[in-house]
Amino acid sequence: MHSVPTSGPSRRNFLSVTGIGALALFSGGALVGCGQRTTSVASNASEALLPTHMPLKAAAADIAGTAEGVPAAFYKYPAPFRSVETAPLKGSKITAITNLFGTAPNARADNPAWQAIEARLGGQVEITSVSSDDYATKFNTIIAGGELPDLMLNDGAAVPNIVEFLQAKCADLTPLLGGDKIKDYPNLAAIPEVFWKQTVQAGKLYSLPIPRNLTGGSGFVNQTLLENVGVKFTEDIKDKDDFYRVAKELTNPSRNQWALGSTKFGLTMLHHMFRTPNVWKNDGGKLTRAFETDEYLAAIEFAAKLYKDGLYVPGSEGWTKSQMVNSFISGKVAMIYDGLPAYIGPTGYGRSIPAANKANKAVPFIPVGHDGGKAQTWLDNITFATVMLKKADESKLKEVLAVANFLAAPFGSEEYLLLNYGAEGADYTLDSNGNPVVTERALLDNAVPWKYLAAPQQVVYDPSNKDIVDVMHNAYSKLIPLGVEDPCGTLFSPTNASKGAKLGQPVSDAATAVIAGRGTMDALKSAVADWKKNGGDTIRGEYESALAK
Amino acid sequence: MVAGLGRRPKNGPKNSPRNRPKTKDTRPIWMEKPKPAMQVSKAIALVVICFLALYPLLAVLATSLSSQSEIANNNGLVLFPKEPTFAAYQTIFAGGVVTDALIRSLVITTVGTALSLVVTVAMAYGLTRRDLVGGRFFLMTALFTMLFSPGIIPSFLMVKELGLLDSYAALVLPTLMSAFNLVVVRSFFMNLPQELFEAAKIDGAGDFRILVQMVLPLSRGVLAVVGLFYAVGYWNAFFNAMLYLNDDKWPLSMILRQYVLLGQPMGDSAVAEIAVPSQAIQMAVVVISLIPIVIVFPFLQRYFTKGVLTGAIKG
Repeated sequence: MHSVPTSGPSRRNFLSVTGIGALALFSGGALVGCGQRTTSVASNASEALLPTHMPLKAAAADIAGTAEGVPAAFYKYPAPFRSVETAPLKGSKITAITNLFGTAPNARADNPAWQAIEARLGGQVEITSVSSDDYATKFNTIIAGGELPDLMLNDGAAVPNIVEFLQAKCADLTPLLGGDKIKDYPNLAAIPEVFWKQTVQAGKLYSLPIPRNLTGGSGFVNQTLLENVGVKFTEDIKDKDDFYRVAKELTNPSRNQWALGSTKFGLTMLHHMFRTPNVWKNDGGKLTRAFETDEYLAAIEFAAKLYKDGLYVPGSEGWTKSQMVNSFISGKVAMIYDGLPAYIGPTGYGRSIPAANKANKAVPFIPVGHDGGKAQTWLDNITFATVMLKKADESKLKEVLAVANFLAAPFGSEEYLLLNYGAEGADYTLDSNGNPVVTERALLDNAVPWKYLAAPQQVVYDPSNKDIVDVMHNAYSKLIPLGVEDPCGTLFSPTNASKGAKLGQPVSDAATAVIAGRGTMDALKSAVADWKKNGGDTIRGEYESALAK
Repeated sequence: MVAGLGRRPKNGPKNSPRNRPKTKDTRPIWMEKPKPAMQVSKAIALVVICFLALYPLLAVLATSLSSQSEIANNNGLVLFPKEPTFAAYQTIFAGGVVTDALIRSLVITTVGTALSLVVTVAMAYGLTRRDLVGGRFFLMTALFTMLFSPGIIPSFLMVKELGLLDSYAALVLPTLMSAFNLVVVRSFFMNLPQELFEAAKIDGAGDFRILVQMVLPLSRGVLAVVGLFYAVGYWNAFFNAMLYLNDDKWPLSMILRQYVLLGQPMGDSAVAEIAVPSQAIQMAVVVISLIPIVIVFPFLQRYFTKGVLTGAIKG
């Protein structure tokens, strides 16, 4: 059983707090304090709430994953095995809505991958897909239209009052997937519990997870530039003073080179060094917002010192992501913050930095504590999103879950190859090591967003370079044990949903002003006080009561 | 003869400026010949203005022809690519998705613009007739839509109830007539000399004949401008496509928007094994979307100012 060491509840704790709730919450029609971990009075049902983790007997990884959630790593694609024997659909059709990233796919009639997948499914999946920028608009108009698709992506932002929507329109999956019931869907059962915890709302299992590798990391460094100033590994930086010294040595404006430069100052790495909480800190049921803590203020103060001493590229806080990536690739900046998954893949830093300059190499930043102790990272990338099922009769729900089970085929399976690389021959061929080598048409054939409807736990896999796999796995191995969850990550606060972002903006602006030398720490503290007064305390109260239930 | 009433003589009157004998210096006598220094400074100013206007276009074009590493090494701004590559354009046009969308967009724009012009001209002409029963009511109804738009969800429900979801008609019918364009065309029609209409009626012409044989030939300028407004609107429209159509029917604007938004969400370790020079692609998308307007605009430019002014100062 996978679990994650966090300041949030353990499974036992988690199950114990999923007590009375929904009845009290919704009997009055108000949503005050409603949370995902609240459940009905029949609390003994919660013992069977989370699906039991049943790992598949799949091919052995080159580097095994861990119970903490560190993903398995593969240097080459293992011999494929079949994970789904019978077609989940019997000539029928289901509908879905999800995200589409990048280009629209080749149409079904001209898409061998799509045709092969639907042949294996035994029926059609009609997918409505739009970019994440358009998703809220599209999904809300579809909700207003009244005809919901069978599978619906919950991106966490499209529906403001998600709990009410789930209860009114979505199927409770607890009777179908809770506990050992999930054994009927072995690919879904292979997804560890840590991901299923994200799908519990109002005490019920309402959706399917689309797993990610738990942490977004602490950023990246240009290893070559770091070695030039005598630091072989980022872990060798002893404390904040040593970090400052290294940053100073990395900065040389006359050579167009700076230590730091990221959109919005790339503060995550500093917060990890100063052990700032992940959004909220839970101290025995009492919540403190990250920016109310001394750790946060110390990180901001340190960033202001770095900025004042010219260790950031001037104006880099306003960079677009493209500008930041370009500056990192060209060697103008030695350290940036970007999500850890940006390392791997054809356009990832692992390949793009040496491609621009063979002497350069990028590695994930592994932080040390500001005082020489351990750093604290954030488990801020547990799932991409979750997927809800429309209310329907049990046979229909089982049919849709069987499709999801197919789409969640794990790495190493035939189905994973089909869903991610397309039809063999037309979209990819296997090289002598058994790795798929894609053809020109693969990109557009594989653009059908199957992986945003259901997905397995991720692995680290890059057949192009063993070193990249090792570096990435090493980073996960070091960052995940240091990680803390947001204790409110799966809770719902109506005030936060309606005006949380607006309330937090002045604090973020005040912090920016402090770092850029335009504001004072007192102004930042005053912005935090205003946040409390204007609704922050209400949000805290709603989360605390949700936690207590 | 009614048939000839709308035609303009090919050559103007004898004393028109066009027919005056050309002299060496066409400058009016009260205007002094500019000094060389002034001419040089004007030339410099014009070159600077042209450069400022062309610089972003040049940067976009050059970036679209560059490789990712060249873009990165130049901090995202390339003016003269050392090794120009069409990789971005090849990526965009590979597989035919963009080509199909381009054809769809051309058809939607052509059909939509034609239908919009027919409907707008017909309604505008009708509303200029003083004997039209309820004309004021219809005009006010049309103007009302300029002030109060229906909103996304009511529009969606209307399209859904009409059975137009996932059909190309959903891109044309809801935006078939723009009240602004109606006002522009109606204003133009109202400023045509009433004597022409009276003469035509005396000659026995009906409204349809007056519209087709008199009004339209006299209104080519305003029709060109309004047509351009409609065409640009249909060409650029992505929102209705996003709302009403599935991705297999998307027009070019929506496909290109997807390229512009191309970015991986955090945590999405792309398994696709094709390297995409994303900034070059984004710039190539801008170039592709500019081409049709760049082609059409010079031909319509001479009508443009006139048409816009018609709507602006005549009511």
